[in-house]
Amino acid sequence: ETWTMTTTWPSSLELIETDKHWVKMVNDLVDDDKLQIEFYDGGNIVPAGEVFGAVESGTIQAGADWPGYWAGRDSAFSPLATTASLFNAVDYVNWIQEWGGADLYNEVYGKFGMVYLPYGVTNNESGFRTVNKPIKTVDDLKGLRLRLSGLEQGKLLEKLGGNQVSMAGGEIYQSLERGVIDGAEFSTPNVDYSGGFQQVTKYWSTPGWHQSSSVFGVMINKAAWDALDAETQERLKIAANATMLWSLSFTEKRATEAYGEFKAAGVEIDRLDDAALAQIQQMANETIEEVACQNPLSAKVYASQLSYLKDYSSWRDASAPFNLGRTPNGPDLAKIEACAGQ
Amino acid sequence: MSGEAIALIMSGLLLLGLFMGHPLAFVLGGTAVLGAVIAGKPMVLGIVVNRIFGDVLDNYVLIAIPLFVLMARFLSDSGVTDKMFEALRHLMARVTGGLGLAVVFISILLAATTGIIGASITVMGMMALKPMLQYGYDKKLATGLIASSGCLGILIPPSIMLILMASYAPGLSVGQLFAGAMMPGVLLGLMYAIYVAAIAWFKPEWAPPVRDEEQISRAAMWRLLIVEAVPPLVLILGILGSLLAGIATATEASAIGAVLALLIVISRGRFEWATFYSALLETGRTSAMILFIVVGATAFTGVFNITGGLRASQDLIRGLADDPYMLVAMMLLVVFILGMFLDWTGIVLLSFPIFLPLVNEMGINPLWFVILMAVVLQTSFLSPPFGYALFYMRAIAPDDVSTGDIIRGVFPFILLIISMCVMIILFPSLVTWLPSTLYGG
Amino acid sequence: MGLSEMAETAANFGEASDLPIIRLINGINELVGRIVSVVAIVFAGIIIYDVFMRYVFGSPTRWAFDLSKQLYGFYFILLGGYALRHQAHVRVDLLTERMGHQFRRWTEVAGYLIFFLPFAWVFTRRSWDFAMTSLKQGEVTYGAVQLPVYPLKIAMFVAAALLLIQGVAEVLKLVLNKTDHLEPMEPMDVR
Ligand code: NA
Ligand code: NA
Repeated sequence: ETWTMTTTWPSSLELIETDKHWVKMVNDLVDDDKLQIEFYDGGNIVPAGEVFGAVESGTIQAGADWPGYWAGRDSAFSPLATTASLFNAVDYVNWIQEWGGADLYNEVYGKFGMVYLPYGVTNNESGFRTVNKPIKTVDDLKGLRLRLSGLEQGKLLEKLGGNQVSMAGGEIYQSLERGVIDGAEFSTPNVDYSGGFQQVTKYWSTPGWHQSSSVFGVMINKAAWDALDAETQERLKIAANATMLWSLSFTEKRATEAYGEFKAAGVEIDRLDDAALAQIQQMANETIEEVACQNPLSAKVYASQLSYLKDYSSWRDASAPFNLGRTPNGPDLAKIEACAGQ
Repeated sequence: MSGEAIALIMSGLLLLGLFMGHPLAFVLGGTAVLGAVIAGKPMVLGIVVNRIFGDVLDNYVLIAIPLFVLMARFLSDSGVTDKMFEALRHLMARVTGGLGLAVVFISILLAATTGIIGASITVMGMMALKPMLQYGYDKKLATGLIASSGCLGILIPPSIMLILMASYAPGLSVGQLFAGAMMPGVLLGLMYAIYVAAIAWFKPEWAPPVRDEEQISRAAMWRLLIVEAVPPLVLILGILGSLLAGIATATEASAIGAVLALLIVISRGRFEWATFYSALLETGRTSAMILFIVVGATAFTGVFNITGGLRASQDLIRGLADDPYMLVAMMLLVVFILGMFLDWTGIVLLSFPIFLPLVNEMGINPLWFVILMAVVLQTSFLSPPFGYALFYMRAIAPDDVSTGDIIRGVFPFILLIISMCVMIILFPSLVTWLPSTLYGG
Repeated sequence: MGLSEMAETAANFGEASDLPIIRLINGINELVGRIVSVVAIVFAGIIIYDVFMRYVFGSPTRWAFDLSKQLYGFYFILLGGYALRHQAHVRVDLLTERMGHQFRRWTEVAGYLIFFLPFAWVFTRRSWDFAMTSLKQGEVTYGAVQLPVYPLKIAMFVAAALLLIQGVAEVLKLVLNKTDHLEPMEPMDVR
């Protein structure tokens, strides 16, 4: 078998490293007569927004993505990609591996004739970078035109008084420079730095409450997956798990380096205080409840995530301060379970 | 089937279709389909529709193309150009070579207000060619000058060519390309002016001054200049100003430009519903023509890539040139040769996917390279056998001007374009200075 | 206006020609072209309204970006058949100009058969699947403003079909020797 695989990321973005890492590992682990993956950088085969359609139709066998791009086809893709002020990267790993998350990826992608292997996690995104007005409090968001991805994220920003502007990654730099937008979020600090944002923004507001962590992975056409023998399938999964762990520490290391580079470039970094974050948490919860209750499948994913948080909280909180992350004061689980029809 | 074989077959089909006189858009699209089938991968045809939708329909930057076309049409309907030319013609009448200089300066101004070339060549040809020949200008100089100066419109911003280039060059924005093309474009125009002045100096019989009875009073001339030249200047400020000052994106600037041009038409009492409607229809046909070449090219590139043709072509180029300057020279030569047969749309769309990854690989500044290519593409309008500007001039020129005159006429200007390229290679800051001042980095 | 009346109006846009099918196809694309060409003014207006609202009132629209982009998509793709009907698609007529009328005619027919028809067929067939998938999924844009995407994908299929039938009409014109564009074409476009 030979698979053609592409990704949503152009070669200029560091996010593509995760995809290449997995592809290389698969090509090393699997005998050439069983499977070979021919990988093409984003945009070379199909434009980013069309990777989903190309895998779904079987034109290509595999496509690397960030699931949130497909929220327009089913809003349940959104919580598979990121959450507003809920999960950190370790939460995603826990949930995917041991609390039933992996099945939900396959259920949602399965609706479209695909199998999904999550193989990348990155922790908190940078947050907003603004041209000439710092965001130190929630009030500072009012009236700002901010580039932001995502359905829940946009609704949450609107509740906070800002305006969501959707634009492709490649247009952000110019729009910031020309003042078409007041600020933008893009990705983790290392990816932002490679985009040159330190040249066009003076202020950086952390943390990235809109996208507390992110998942990346590969969509595989179901027919192509079924054509593999069980052992090859298992090797693909092993490569995915290994890549996921690598991606976490790789990005955190790179983000740390980039944080220093942003400071050195003279960017003023302000962290929102805990009271502001509590207020945002409240509104994020409302947004999640609203969005989840418009789509039972989305509610099912959120319900599973919230059940995990609740379940894990007993031990996580008991092991403080040596625990992994925090138990957020999240949305109402019972309400979302009701919306999921459970 | 190997990548080399498929690259050869698809190039062959492309040439066949072109020489059969079939529309470029469908030669590209058809070659994509045939290439996929011949390569034994008909299943990859699915990407054709994915690419057409994602690259061409769902593309905010390309909105500017129909709007800049519409603006050019409104501007030519407004009659502003005629008046401007009249004013400058009188201003420079007493000077040897003055009429020729007026053609260059008006063309630079027109170039800075419109993004397309046909309009300016036609308008300038209609207005300037007759008086130039009448006052004894050399046929070759007159036609060559009008044709070459008219082509500046696609180099000096705004330009639909630069918009399309930005849309196909990852990481380069329309604003950067506009800023980068500004100095080379204007300098090239000035080189044309210096050339005309030199001819007028050394061979005054080729570019004689205008006779006295044609001249009008100074007052009338200044009135003409101030009343007639102001509107287009407002337009330039409206478009480039809003774009460079950060008020608007290129797409927004194109909409502002179209509406400003319409307002000029109305303010001059030249508005008629019938003309307005035919401007819309003509813009529709032109935009569809340009954008369908993009449709065909995106299909072609996708299949060329996935069947291995693209990699094979890049390996071939890599094998021939290992030094960055050598590589750039070779790619520019390819563009120049393609320019004899194809128009800029096809050249940009076919060569960018092959060239730009190599440019990045070699550590060459992509902005610099793209602008160099834009300058070389000026020749694609002028080089025989297939050059738009030659056709336009042929259509406008009287019968005693032969096609040979026109071709001999543009030849010195092709040399000037090549010297401009050499200057950009020697002094890269001609391209990079303005973008880095405006945009940093 | 009833459907039959519309078809008649459409047919009247076509030039007199023997085959009703050619008149009908010409007419349909002419009608589509004359209506769709006006859309340029609409998206120009939307973009300017958005710029105005942003800088004068400081309150940009939520919808202008996606809507103007979609209208532009509708606009140019639906004009493909109309442009073909007017032979506005750019071609290299170096050799064909020098050919005799008959040879040139059949060369043009061959061009349509080798290049145009395979492309237009794949474009039509595949965009049908593409549009129907989107329609079934009720696909919308993925930000806070959820604009439906399937109308544009359906328009792409319609445009492909309009292009395909116009190509068929052009082949028929060539075969029946009813073309009017075979004379050396003056460059008509405004590039
Ligand atoms: Na221009
Ligand atoms: Na040429």
